[in-house]
Amino acid sequence: MIDSPDIAQPVLERLSFAYVRRPGLWKIMFTNLGMGIITLTVWHFWGKTNVRKHIWSCIHINGEPLEYTGKGGELFRGFMLVFAIFILPLLLLTAGLGFYLGPQHPAISGINFLFAIAGYLLGGFALYKARNYQLSRTNWRGIRGNMAGSAGLYSLTYFGNILARSFSMGWATPVMNVVMSEQMIGDMRFGDSAFKFKGRAGPLYPTYALCWFLTLFVVIGGAGFLGYEIAQWSGSGFDAAFKHVFNGQGEAKPTVDEFQLVGLFALGILGLILVYVLVIPTLWAIYSAKEMRTLANYTRFDGAQFKLNATAGSVIWLALGNLLIIALAVVLAAGLIFGAISASIWMGFDKSTAVVIMTAIFVVFVYQGVWALTRPIIIQRNIGFVFRRLTLDGAVDLNRIRQSVAARPKRGEGLADAFDLGAW
Amino acid sequence: MAVSAIYYDGESARSHDVEVSENGTLISFSGTGTPYTSWSIKGLHAIDAPAQGQPYRLTHYDKSGARLIIRDDEFIKTLVSRSSHLKGGYSGRDIAHIFGWTIGGLAFVAAIGYVAMVLLPDKVAHVLPETWRNRVGSQMEAAMAEGAKLCHSPAGDAALGAMIANLAQGQPDLPSISVHIYDIPVLNAFAVSGGKIILTREILAKADGPDEIAGVLAHEIGHVAHRHPEAQLVRLTGMQVLGSVFTGSNGGDMTTNVAFLATVLKFTREAEAEADAYARDTLVKSSIDPMGLKRFFEKINKLEGGGGDHSSAFSKLGGIFSTHPGTEDRMKLIEPLPAGVVAKPSLTNEQWLALKDVCKG
Repeated sequence: MIDSPDIAQPVLERLSFAYVRRPGLWKIMFTNLGMGIITLTVWHFWGKTNVRKHIWSCIHINGEPLEYTGKGGELFRGFMLVFAIFILPLLLLTAGLGFYLGPQHPAISGINFLFAIAGYLLGGFALYKARNYQLSRTNWRGIRGNMAGSAGLYSLTYFGNILARSFSMGWATPVMNVVMSEQMIGDMRFGDSAFKFKGRAGPLYPTYALCWFLTLFVVIGGAGFLGYEIAQWSGSGFDAAFKHVFNGQGEAKPTVDEFQLVGLFALGILGLILVYVLVIPTLWAIYSAKEMRTLANYTRFDGAQFKLNATAGSVIWLALGNLLIIALAVVLAAGLIFGAISASIWMGFDKSTAVVIMTAIFVVFVYQGVWALTRPIIIQRNIGFVFRRLTLDGAVDLNRIRQSVAARPKRGEGLADAFDLGAW
Repeated sequence: MAVSAIYYDGESARSHDVEVSENGTLISFSGTGTPYTSWSIKGLHAIDAPAQGQPYRLTHYDKSGARLIIRDDEFIKTLVSRSSHLKGGYSGRDIAHIFGWTIGGLAFVAAIGYVAMVLLPDKVAHVLPETWRNRVGSQMEAAMAEGAKLCHSPAGDAALGAMIANLAQGQPDLPSISVHIYDIPVLNAFAVSGGKIILTREILAKADGPDEIAGVLAHEIGHVAHRHPEAQLVRLTGMQVLGSVFTGSNGGDMTTNVAFLATVLKFTREAEAEADAYARDTLVKSSIDPMGLKRFFEKINKLEGGGGDHSSAFSKLGGIFSTHPGTEDRMKLIEPLPAGVVAKPSLTNEQWLALKDVCKG
């Protein structure tokens, strides 16, 4: 092939990225919901594949869409294999040990700890293998990708990352994310061409420190507010009011004032939770944006450098939108559950039938519904966010990129699916 | 008719402009740098279903990396109209596979579930070794007592012993039990593995006579005799494994928990009915007035707010998750001693007072 006339002349092209939405995602989502119900969630693997096929096809590089060539059956077989050789024996072992030793035996927590460690070790392995499967099923201009390194090695880095982050109160995060990206991105191949990742964590630290101390400030402030709340209420009959409101049996009925007292306290706590849920992630969006920009800057392909125009504001907007979509779906699901239970009782089903109906509804609506109707949108938003903001500085010699010779994995993502890591 | 298309050869990322034509059995193309190539239409595979205005992407089974991208709607229409396999989507075989796996998987889980939840627990419960029953029972007793004081007094302990002896009179094969009273301010009584029975201070406080406690005790001994706590542990273990198997990767914990709770409680209700029957039998055989147990149930019923509106949605939902059969239903089954049988007191007055005060010691 070396003497082929095509190879002699370099075909330098500047690559541009775009996320071009096209109709069809809602159809896929509702099909997945319906099929998920009919097949009692077995459809999951095919549904996931359909969503990927759609989203991949919206990612355009120089006007040519990516193509996802994976099959639902491959994911299903991958999961079944992992289930048979890993999950089922582990389940039987833990359940058997738990049964033999008794549920309260002190050794149980030790065993759980060992399994958690094994789980964390396998987590990195699973993520790497899933990335390899996805790349091997991603085509652009007929060329597919792959991972060229060792999943075992990555799993050690991943485990080290968990340890380092927990022992350093988070301060190892920038270093570890750079180290993990170096391994994950550095091992990525498009055809026979490698992605390169090189850079230091140093420039990430000022932003990390800012977010860390601001979070500390918010946490201390919150704790102070909680202390003030408790100090203010204690001694003003709050204990009695609390008992009256929450413990109906045998206690006096709460008065209107007592309700007000407990209500105000609850409002304070709720406000605090809301501040935590909204403020802390918002703060960390500043770091996320900085990290995304920096890691993109450290990545090169065929000498060209990636750039990602992610700002804190855009990351916050993205996250808030995602949160809102999930919240809406949960509210909708809760309404449906309540309606279905009321309807089943109103229709006069006996208790055990109602249990079956209720269980089925939980499976169907809460999990299937929320999953099927939110995840694809969120994935689309996240991927769209990246590809609308990603640029590649410099030209790439496309003629030089040859097809990958790495073997394509036959099955995919069993472990990642088992750990629910294969989100997209 | 020849139309323009783009060809990727699957060997490099370079794009090639080609002219494509088809004759019903072959699709052929060529262009600068692309030699004349023919693919059989039978061997073509559509990457996506054709859509108006969208490029149509084809590959061939013999050259899986190569892509032929056609934009001419008319050409695509003609090609697809003659070859239905180019319409994309799932084949009948794919659908049959998915449903086959679904039905097979469910049948497998249902069969295993039946064995693990219905057939095995009672049988396993009766062959579990004593050491295991005692070890697990002690753990559960400690967990339920949550560090509460174990109530003791010489007279109280003697009274409890006397009550058990009185129950044993009519039931010579009474299982081996140990009864502990804990200083817990909640009205309850439990039997755990290994014949360990736990009564709370509150249950003694609420009882108006020894026959009520004798009835409760006979009920708990019923659980021990039927090995209900052991069977329940086997069932829970089976449930734990099955729950994870059934929900696999894609089940929420919520699903497992609801199914788990509902199944376990169903068996709990059956166990309660069995223990009630054992209690009624034991009390009659020992000539202890079963109406004591009935009076106790009446008290529970009153505390639960019984006799209210049972048709409301919430009380029906509550029923699904109640561990005991309806208290009123249970009371109906309790009958007085047969005519001619003289009731024996389960304890003397002094013994009863000593037992009631056992937690004050």
